[in-house]
Order: sequence, then structure tokens, then C-alpha cells
Amino acid sequence: MAIRFPILFPAALLALVLVALAGVLWGTAEISWADRAAILMREDDVPRGLSLIIWQWRIPRVLAVGVIGAGLALAGALMQTALRNPMADPYLMGLSSGASAAAVGAIIWLPSWITDSFGVPAIAFMGAALAFVMTLGLSSRRGEPLDPLVVILAGVAVSLMFQSLTAFFLYLGDPQAVRSALGWLMGTAANTEWHELPLITLALLLIAGWALLNANALDATLLGEERAQALGVHTGRLRMWIFLATVTLTGLAVSVAGIVGFIGLIIPHMARLLTGARHRVLLPLTLVLGALVLIAVDLLCRTLLAPEELPLGVLLALFAAPPFIMILRGLRRAS
Amino acid sequence: MLHEAVETEIALRIQDLSVNIGKTPYVQGASLSVPTGQIHGLLGPNGAGKTTLLRTLYHAATASTGTIHAFDRAITDYSPYEWAKRVGALVQSSGLLAGLTPQDIVEIGLSILELDKSELIDRRDDALALAGLTDKATQPASNLSGGELQRCYFAQLLACDPEIYILDEPTNHLDLHYQLVLLDEVKRRGRTVLMTLHDLSLAMRYCNTVYLMSQGQIVGRGAPQHVLTREILMQYYQVDGQFHGAALTLQGPV
Repeated sequence: MAIRFPILFPAALLALVLVALAGVLWGTAEISWADRAAILMREDDVPRGLSLIIWQWRIPRVLAVGVIGAGLALAGALMQTALRNPMADPYLMGLSSGASAAAVGAIIWLPSWITDSFGVPAIAFMGAALAFVMTLGLSSRRGEPLDPLVVILAGVAVSLMFQSLTAFFLYLGDPQAVRSALGWLMGTAANTEWHELPLITLALLLIAGWALLNANALDATLLGEERAQALGVHTGRLRMWIFLATVTLTGLAVSVAGIVGFIGLIIPHMARLLTGARHRVLLPLTLVLGALVLIAVDLLCRTLLAPEELPLGVLLALFAAPPFIMILRGLRRAS
Repeated sequence: MLHEAVETEIALRIQDLSVNIGKTPYVQGASLSVPTGQIHGLLGPNGAGKTTLLRTLYHAATASTGTIHAFDRAITDYSPYEWAKRVGALVQSSGLLAGLTPQDIVEIGLSILELDKSELIDRRDDALALAGLTDKATQPASNLSGGELQRCYFAQLLACDPEIYILDEPTNHLDLHYQLVLLDEVKRRGRTVLMTLHDLSLAMRYCNTVYLMSQGQIVGRGAPQHVLTREILMQYYQVDGQFHGAALTLQGPV
């Protein structure tokens, strides 16, 4: 199966470059709309023409969704391996619910001086980290290795708790604040600025490099806990690193663009169908496909109903549901 | 003289090993040593602690007390990775096989040996041929039957061909033909083996020495024909049966 990789990977890379170019250049004709966006973004600044729009608005946005798409897809692939569960995704350990509850709570309840000085992104990251710690705390017992199934169940429990907290905040919040909170919940990369990019890009590069260096150990993990141990893999330590990588990538992604679902679940499966499950080919393809798909979806979000902008979550759910159902059917056939 | 010295060399030595999981003792004070090139079997009813004892030999369980040595070096003096190169294990464990083929599974095992590409492919294909999986080598592993999958993991271990084989119920899911083919191959290679077995006839056929385990302790040891007496079968296996040569005649449970 992996034989196809030498053709597939360059093709995917080429497609990524083309989609990224489209993301930067598309919509140049709609200057009136671009003008408006630029004015809205920097009220006391007069728009200085097309180059400014592209450089300050489109390029950072395209880069951000590319890095986020790649990061979430990578985190999803690693989680599926660590827990040996095809339905695992980056948000599994309650990360999205924790981040949502923290962000929505901050937007609706906290006085603006606190949200302004910390920033909603940082608060969301802390929410994700808190949910992660709670899930781990619930699922670990002293002196015993983590049971993947217990981690998943603990994640579900923590998710439910934070979801009802989010619902509570939304229910009691005043309509204006609720609308802004809902926009955040559905995910958008609009308003991404250059200074938000270096941290998540650095994290992505380091984690992708680490994962590729450990491709053999990750492969062995797929065969089962004890089989991996028999091949010399310290499975407990590897899993903990994967969890930390996931909370880092996912927390940073959430802090830049809110909750972007489905990418982390679907892309690793797409890549696996195309090139097999060996990590040295799976991970590069997962990274490229994640970036490719999210840039394309973000482009559609901007252009489909222009000048209105759709949240990423809405279109992703629309496009992700059919492949998701196909994967489910495929899994049922295989078993 | 030299020949004799090699024959009596102990490849695997376990001394006074105890394993507790939580507060429950699973193995208590077990000691055994397997000379180079011999096949030793761990026998006993369900829950006797056989698998737990083996798990300490591939880093899936930690000894509470006692020591494990391979080639006169303690397991704790090896990195898990170095250990895995010399002490290979065939174990029971469920994985996520979507996107993997039998070729992949054998290669994943071989990756610890850092072979060059041509040797890796040779070893992979030879082992898959031995296990009768050449035709299915590039098909999805998730489509294999239980027995085929067991053969696939057996092929992985045979491809790696470590100095010591740890086999946990190696004949699980295997039909009679492959039980004999694969265990004959292990014996032919003259490697040091410690394995658990439920099939006492196979123990009689392959083992130089067997250990009888019950409630976490080794309660009997010796040549299989000496250990597997009618009384022992009655007391520990709760069956009425008797060996005539290598053939086991069973009357029924008691």
C-alpha cells in the first residue's frame, strides 16, 4: 500500500501549494468587500490597498488555518494510535469542552478588563489544559498503567461536565455576549494576526519532528500494548508524550481559531486509506491533507456567501459527515 | 569439553520472582533457569500466574521482588530496546490494524534490528512463507482470521529470530498443521524457549523441562513425562487422564 506514497505525497503537496495560493489570491475582485473588512478590522486605519489586505489579512489567515489543520490532523492521528481507537480525536480528552466553557464563561461573565488583559485565547488554552488534567486525574490510578478505554470514558465525563457549564453560561448570558460567544464556538480564523503564528508553528514543527523520529515506536503501538512493550517500546511514556503533544497543539489551535471539529478525526482516516498506517508515510500525508482541507474549507467559508462569512465549524460538519459515514461503513465491513 | 560448557550455559534465569498487581499476588517466589537451546514449558490451570510470569520478561509487568537475568545480565541493565533485540516475545494483545498488512506487521517487528532494506525484505518474505501467508502478505491485516493473525505475529517473531523466545500460548487459534509447522521451526532453530501451553500433548512433544504452576507458585518441575502424571492431572487440572507415551487419553473432568 505504501508504494503509492512517492506519487501521492508530492501530488498532495502540490495541491496544498495551489490551494494556499487560491486562498491568498481569491476574491481580489471584490475590493469593496475587502475594503470593508479592512476598515472593520482597523477602524482608525485607512486601507492602503490590495497589498495590505493580502499581507495583513489573507496571508496570516491562510497560514493559520494551514498550521491549525495540519496540527489538529497530526494530533488526531497520534491520539488514534495512542488509544488504538479509530474514533479518537484531538478533543477526546475534554479539550474542546474545557476550552469552550472557559472562553464562553470569559466572554459572557468576566469583566472586560480581565478578558482584555489575558485575552480569550489564553483563557481558552487554560480551559483545555484544565480539562486535560481532570481527564488524566480521573483515569489514572497510582502504580497502574493507563487503560485507553478508561481515558476515553473519563474524557466523555469531563466533556459532559464542561458542556453543561457552557450551556449554563449561554442560557444566562445577555444576548449580545451570547452571540459573540457562539461565533467563537463555531470556529473562525478571521482576524488572525501575524504575531499569533510563530508559537503554534514552532509547536507543530517540533511535534511533527518528534513524531517522525518515533515512527517505529508508534507503528509498534498499533499492534497492541503488550506487543509494543515486547518490541522495547515504553508505551506508558510514549502515550504521555502524545497526550502532551495533543493538548499543546489543540490548545494552541483553539486559542487561534476556536473549536474546529472533524479535521482531527477524518483526515488521519483519509490518509490511512490512501497510504496505509505506517507512521513514516502516514504522518507526512496527514499533515499535508490537514492543511490542504482546512485552507480549502476556510476559502469556501469566505467566498460561498460573500460578503457574509460562514464559521468553519458549519462547513466542516457539512463536508465531514459523508466521509465519516463512509469510514463507519468501512469499519463495519472490516470487522 | 567446550561443547559441554556451552550446553550447560544458562540463557535465562529467574530467581525468587514475585509479582503483585495492586495488592494481589499473581506470582510468588518463582525460580527457574533455561539452559541455552532448551525449550521449557510453563503449565497449569487458568489463573495460575503463567502469563503474568512471562509478562515480566517483556516489560509488561514489573517484578515486586526477585531478579531476571538473560546471559548473566540483569533485565534492569538492558534498555527495553536492547532487551527486545535478544529476548523476543509472542504475546496476546489486541491492536488497531486498520491500514496495516501482514508485511507491515512483520516489518514493524524487524524495525528494531535496523537491517538494510534487502535483508529486511528477505527475512520478511521467508517468515511469511513459513507461516503460509505469502498469498495474503499485502492484503489488509484486519481481514485475517484469528488463526491467520496469530500466524502473522508468529512470522514476526521468526523473522526477528531472537536468542530467547518467550511464547505465550503460541498455538492459540492455530490449526493442527500450523501448530506443528511453527513449533517445529522454533525447535529446529535451536533457540532458547520459555512458553506457556494449555495443550499438554504439545508440552510432551516439545519441552525438555516443564514447570507446573498453581496459585502463583511453581509446584512441580522436571521432564514432562515425570511431571504430567495421572495424580497431577487429577489434582491440578481436575481431569481424569493419563499419558501413554506422547498420547493423552482423557476420561473426563473430576
